[in-house]
Amino acid sequence: MTATSILLSVVLTLSMSLANGASTSAPGLEVSGDHANACVVASLPGPEYYRIDLVPTRRLVGSASVNGYGDVYFASSPFGVALTSTGHYAYDLKVEVSGLRERSGKEYVLWVTSPSLDEIHRIGPLVDGRLSTRVEMNKYLVVLTLEDAGVTSNKWQGPVVMRGMSRSGLMHTMAGHGPFESEPCAQYGYR
Amino acid sequence: MARYTLNLLCGALVLLILVPVDVVAQNHDHAAMGHDMGGMAAGDSVTWRMPPMDMSMPMMPGMHGMNPSAPAYLPLTPQEAMALPDARPRELVTMADGDTLHLHAMMVKRKIGDRHFAMFGYNGQIPGPLIRAPQGSKVYVHFENHIDQATTVHWHGLRLDNRFDGVPGVTQAPVEQHASFMYELKFPDEGLYWYHPHIREDIQQDLGLYGNMLVDPSREDALPRVNREEVFVLDDLLVDGSGPLPYGQDAPTHALMGRFGNLMLVNGVPDYRMSVKKGEVVRFFLTNVANARTFNVTFGNAKIKVIASDVSRFEREQWVDSVPIAPAERYIVDVRFKKPGDVAIANTIQAINHFRGEFYPHVDTLAIVSVADEPVSTDLSDEYLALRTNADVVEDIESFRSSFDRPVDYEIELTLKHQNLPLPIVAMMEIDTLYVPPMEWNDAMPMMNWLSTGNEVTWVLRDVRSGRENMDINWTFQKGDVAKIRIFNTPDSFHPMNHPIHVHGQRYLVLSIDGVPTQNLVWKDTAIVPVGSTMDILVDMSNPGEWMMHCHIAEHLQAGMMLSFTVEEEGTAGSP
Ligand SMILES: [Cu+2]
Repeated sequence: MTATSILLSVVLTLSMSLANGASTSAPGLEVSGDHANACVVASLPGPEYYRIDLVPTRRLVGSASVNGYGDVYFASSPFGVALTSTGHYAYDLKVEVSGLRERSGKEYVLWVTSPSLDEIHRIGPLVDGRLSTRVEMNKYLVVLTLEDAGVTSNKWQGPVVMRGMSRSGLMHTMAGHGPFESEPCAQYGYR
Repeated sequence: MARYTLNLLCGALVLLILVPVDVVAQNHDHAAMGHDMGGMAAGDSVTWRMPPMDMSMPMMPGMHGMNPSAPAYLPLTPQEAMALPDARPRELVTMADGDTLHLHAMMVKRKIGDRHFAMFGYNGQIPGPLIRAPQGSKVYVHFENHIDQATTVHWHGLRLDNRFDGVPGVTQAPVEQHASFMYELKFPDEGLYWYHPHIREDIQQDLGLYGNMLVDPSREDALPRVNREEVFVLDDLLVDGSGPLPYGQDAPTHALMGRFGNLMLVNGVPDYRMSVKKGEVVRFFLTNVANARTFNVTFGNAKIKVIASDVSRFEREQWVDSVPIAPAERYIVDVRFKKPGDVAIANTIQAINHFRGEFYPHVDTLAIVSVADEPVSTDLSDEYLALRTNADVVEDIESFRSSFDRPVDYEIELTLKHQNLPLPIVAMMEIDTLYVPPMEWNDAMPMMNWLSTGNEVTWVLRDVRSGRENMDINWTFQKGDVAKIRIFNTPDSFHPMNHPIHVHGQRYLVLSIDGVPTQNLVWKDTAIVPVGSTMDILVDMSNPGEWMMHCHIAEHLQAGMMLSFTVEEEGTAGSP
């Protein structure tokens, strides 16, 4: 599989899961796995539309069945909608992962990066499978890696266990994954 | 939903490539399209001009040569406009209890670039007169209509008597050309309010009919001291080399996203300048009167102290880096200008380029503040740097806190319907809707947006439980009720978009967004509901009458996005 086709399938999986849960079986398209029905848009509080599905990379033995997602809320603001002075949204990202196997001397570290990886923020090790952080980017990737415990660096050293894309990552349609396919997907961490 | 699938995506692309040019014919028979706007007669001689385009975005296939389905309207030709009086800057009118203001909606001419154009102004001013009155007072406005179409005046945010709310067909008949109406205004709440027409806002308000009311608090120490006050009306106007782009005569253009302007205006002018001394603390009274644009206002790198919004001060003053302000919202903020030099007040956003699929930083200068070397004579730095808690606001809101957890009384969903839209637009929207941002900061699809009119697009407030929509809804409350209304802006519609939701004649609290409780409460009359979000508001049903709740994007309102509710006097018999 090429990087692009993997990303496409990720996009589709995400798209399907983000769509109204009642109608995930679009004609001519097969979606398998838990993510097809991972979330349901309902008229209850909660920004389901922007939820980030964390997808296992299967690069780590025994990690194929882990589940995770990031819930995206506006950061507290007197204006309701939280914005930075440059016009980026300010979000509270709440990540929750289940099914991770404990590994001695290691910890699962959460990162938030720009799509081109020129900006990488180390958020920190998950605590009981959870971690929250402020994100001040419109378009970003969420990456979970396995690192040596207690070691901090500004770029991950260990394998990527899961990764996800903010909903805005779908906004590369017309020039990206239409007939032109010019997006540098490998740089996004999808290989 | 099928629209999220690859099949449809590819299908849409194919459609785009295959759809022939000129799907919609241009030859509208103007005489055959009924004119429902009274004296508006100029439309017959006005022709459509394409909206100015950002040339980095390619023209969508199949759209070349199309025009909106409504006849084009402008008040007068530039030649005819030459006979009109020049628009004048806003004047301050200080009013005491019982005073009367004579307010005339008039045709004026305004110079943009090197040409003159017909616009509208209250008393010939853009913005209209700034009414300043004490809290608790009552004043009268004798209004006369001298523009070329029927109008009314809505006194936005005031908890006044229902019959003076300015809603045509509900609280009053439209004020026809050369007719008049006597309004009685009550100012029970302090703060910043504004007035504008409630007929064809997309035209009348856009062309200059807007003004502010500033209500001075009864409490002398309600607000921190400042060196200067500035009332800033933020607006944008869609113009090309020939002036304002024509409007739709019997239906608004830009019905999908609203009419985003390309000329930014502060107090009606594109090059607003002010001078201050070094160290001055300036209080900005901000109102957004744009049809559709939400601004993200920055003051250079200055810290901004946010004091108040629509109908009250905040519980607590707070530091912010920018002020996001949607159409019809108001914010009162204090800014200190520490260093000499020029400071740009700007709209600072991440715009969207849908074709490239990216956000890009975009800055529009709104005004320039020249800070002199000379220091201000009264240094108010200490007062500026302190953040106050407004005990009276906290106490007032506290009395509503027992209702915060009450069950939801009504639940509405924000969505839209469309019919007979040109096929390329439908196809393109399907693709575009793969990702919708919580907020729309720019018109990234100017052709599609322009071509969609109120004839094709209906914006919908849908009562989830009853299934009723827009003006088929009429909720009933008793005076003194506290109602929780849940507003869900579904991302699952043809074109999801953020909506600033306005409630007439009452005040409300935004309790939560997406279940996250608001930390610092303030009484509002208008608030942004971002795409995909659920907002719970708590409305203080304090003011009897039949009132409106609607989106304040002018084109969405005109395309149907309004419901009504009745607050009955205490002791009135129950409703059906
Ligand atoms: Cu709207």
